[in-house]
Amino acid sequence: MNENVIDRSRDITILEVLDRVLNKGVILTGDIVISVADVDLVYLGVKLMLSSVETMEQLKSGKHLSQSNG
Amino acid sequence: MGKMIYSILKAAEDPGHLPAVLSGMRGISNADFHEVSYDDITAVVCDVQKASLVTDRSATMDYAGVIDSLFKDFTLLPVRFGSVMESEGEIRNMLERNHIEIQKNLLKVEGKVEFGLKVFCDTEKLKAGFNIKPEPEAKSAGKPGTGQNNSVYMDYVKKKLAEYRLEETVLSYVNSVIKEITECLTGVEATGKFKKMASPANIIDALFLIKKEMTAELIRVVKDLQTRYPDLNFMLTGPWPPYNFVDVTIS
Repeated sequence: MNENVIDRSRDITILEVLDRVLNKGVILTGDIVISVADVDLVYLGVKLMLSSVETMEQLKSGKHLSQSNG
Repeated sequence: MGKMIYSILKAAEDPGHLPAVLSGMRGISNADFHEVSYDDITAVVCDVQKASLVTDRSATMDYAGVIDSLFKDFTLLPVRFGSVMESEGEIRNMLERNHIEIQKNLLKVEGKVEFGLKVFCDTEKLKAGFNIKPEPEAKSAGKPGTGQNNSVYMDYVKKKLAEYRLEETVLSYVNSVIKEITECLTGVEATGKFKKMASPANIIDALFLIKKEMTAELIRVVKDLQTRYPDLNFMLTGPWPPYNFVDVTIS
């Protein structure tokens, strides 16, 4: 099998894991406590769903808020 | 300091087994696991410094690894990463308040595993194969208001109509593949969820909950489907803990 195909499959599988761990399962709608890598603690409020690490990175850089606002 | 909840499971049938399994595992920041129980359900938790709870690939993969390990031995409900409560008492109250809902979900997933099936295809090639032709040109000569502007308008409408017909044809094809997948899986007794056109390349994103002993049959069915549809790529992942078949939201 082509190595690129293996790499791509591995990436897809990692995304599948992240999608499940961050988005699915029993949901506690209280505060979720998360910090992103080297960034200060981020408290995500009630019922805020995370779609991916990318979303959190947007939160960290403030893009998410600026996009939502306008 | 808080308590991070990894999963909620049914450990009452063999009370000694869970501590034995947990003793060989470490949680986030190398913390020990412990159990918080109410009646016959148990939350698997570990202490966590809220400020040190970092979400990166390694932490989330480790988290998934713990749930996977527990899933080998127990019927469980995975809890979303980052779910932290203040104390054991708070967790016990949460288990008590949601006992019926948790029991119902544990019963639903007992002895079952989740699989993901993604179907990919080259959508442009697929569309080209349908060979949708644009509408024939309408006769407009001699009528009032049929100048150049109207012709541009008609071209636009025809183009949009052709695009719409093409999308409809693709969707109809996707529906026919889903129908065939569903029919082929009748013997597997799968509970399925289908998402169509998750992306231009990922035409079907499906999830199945099946009995563990049906795993080999599911793999056989997907191999068979792959042979029947050589232009599509079927990617089956699993067995997963039942992340997508848990319906518990706790406030």
